[in-house]
Amino acid sequence: MLTAPEHAQEPSLNAAPLRLDRVSKRWRKDLPLVLDELELTLAPGTVTWVGGRNGIGKTTMLRIAAGLIEPDGGRAEVWGLHPNKHRVRYQQLVSFLPAGDRGLYARLTVRRQLEFWARIAMVPRERFREWIEEAIVRFDLADLANRRVDRMSMGQRQRLRIAMTFLPHPEVVLLDEPLTSLDTEGGDLLQGAVSGLLERDGAVLWCSPSGESLDINFDFHWMLEQGRLVAQ
Amino acid sequence: MSDATTAAYAFLAVMRRDLYVYRSYRTRLVSQVLTALFSLTLFYYVSRLVHVHGFASSNSYFGFVVVGISLISVLYSCFSIPELVRQELIAGTFDRLLLSPFGAIRSVLAMTFFPMMYSFVLAAITLGLGCVIFDLHLHWSTVPVALPVMLLVLFAFLPFGVLFAALTVVIKQGNVGTSWVVAMLSIVGGLYFPVSLLPGWLQTISRLQPFTAATDLLRHLLVDSSLGESSETALLKLVGFAAVLLPLSIFVLGRAIRFGQRRGTIIEY
Repeated sequence: MLTAPEHAQEPSLNAAPLRLDRVSKRWRKDLPLVLDELELTLAPGTVTWVGGRNGIGKTTMLRIAAGLIEPDGGRAEVWGLHPNKHRVRYQQLVSFLPAGDRGLYARLTVRRQLEFWARIAMVPRERFREWIEEAIVRFDLADLANRRVDRMSMGQRQRLRIAMTFLPHPEVVLLDEPLTSLDTEGGDLLQGAVSGLLERDGAVLWCSPSGESLDINFDFHWMLEQGRLVAQ
Repeated sequence: MSDATTAAYAFLAVMRRDLYVYRSYRTRLVSQVLTALFSLTLFYYVSRLVHVHGFASSNSYFGFVVVGISLISVLYSCFSIPELVRQELIAGTFDRLLLSPFGAIRSVLAMTFFPMMYSFVLAAITLGLGCVIFDLHLHWSTVPVALPVMLLVLFAFLPFGVLFAALTVVIKQGNVGTSWVVAMLSIVGGLYFPVSLLPGWLQTISRLQPFTAATDLLRHLLVDSSLGESSETALLKLVGFAAVLLPLSIFVLGRAIRFGQRRGTIIEY
């Protein structure tokens, strides 16, 4: 069981796996707020689904939660840690799967991609081989391990991207339209990985425009409307 | 295992990644060696065609220019960093580096090492071809000293590449200014001709930047040419540039990334 003090550089007993506290973001002064004092707290061992129409701000919310971009107001926290003040620890705890098919090195093989990612994710050396093999097995990548990414299908690339997301054993996983290009088997593999994370009391934030057809029991359903989350 | 050790492994992983990507383009080395060979051939015959003021013989001018040609690959490697960052931005891998515990700044610094080491190899090949094919006479007793000096030269040039990389993070273009800076440095640094041939004001610029000191020092060590200033002064200049500009350039890169994160433009390409 994961507990906040175990992970926090600044221990906070009241901390949650992920908390978005009054987060606001506006892309330009002449445009309305994309996120308007948005509040969201993930509890350990839960999957939260956030939906909403295209361009409503789901990806912006995830990017702020991941520490990729900064909000204009409010803050994101993981176990009470700040994405900039505690950057390294924060990034060890959170893993983000962006939408689309980017973020891969086209000329590297699957295995080398995973090895590279494990290294810059600063996976402990004693776990390095074990976690890479685990990712290869869990996401059924053994037959593709020596294939270059630019010779793979979109669905295979998506499986690799998901494998990279779960490889460093994060505690909070942020998924942006994770089912893109995945076939049924790929969806099942993702579902298995999410279940594994929940067993470790991790938390998942899953964003997609509409409800997913997967047999996943989302613990919370929210819609993003006018910059705020509305219970569905 | 300490964080420092894990970070060192991450640093090496970036170099290894670049090596793998490089090896996946099988003809690259051949084409670069041929380019070096053609440059050497061109300057070999130019050195025989004209009498160059300030040089005792055609061979001494040829030795002078071969070191210049070797150094330009090192210079290009430093100025390739912005383009590498641009490629990472386009591929969406810069986001991954930024969101990794290793981080974007350390990743950018790590990704400079493979091109720099490779430029070392290219420089050595150029000198080797000069010796084997064009009868270039190296000053072998001081050649080993040239290696640590070359490393120092890299650290003195690196900040310029990192500063341009910071600019790339902000304006999303990889080659803004780098080609004309390399062209300008090849003139004021005296790559192809002595800086004494330049007008006075250009000679002043030539003395102010580290490239002239580097070329002078390496020529002295490799082909025993005379020094424009003492070797201590040249070394001090290189150390000074590296010590002041390297931390400054890393700071500027960090600020550029934070700027992109605040504005939200870090995700653009």
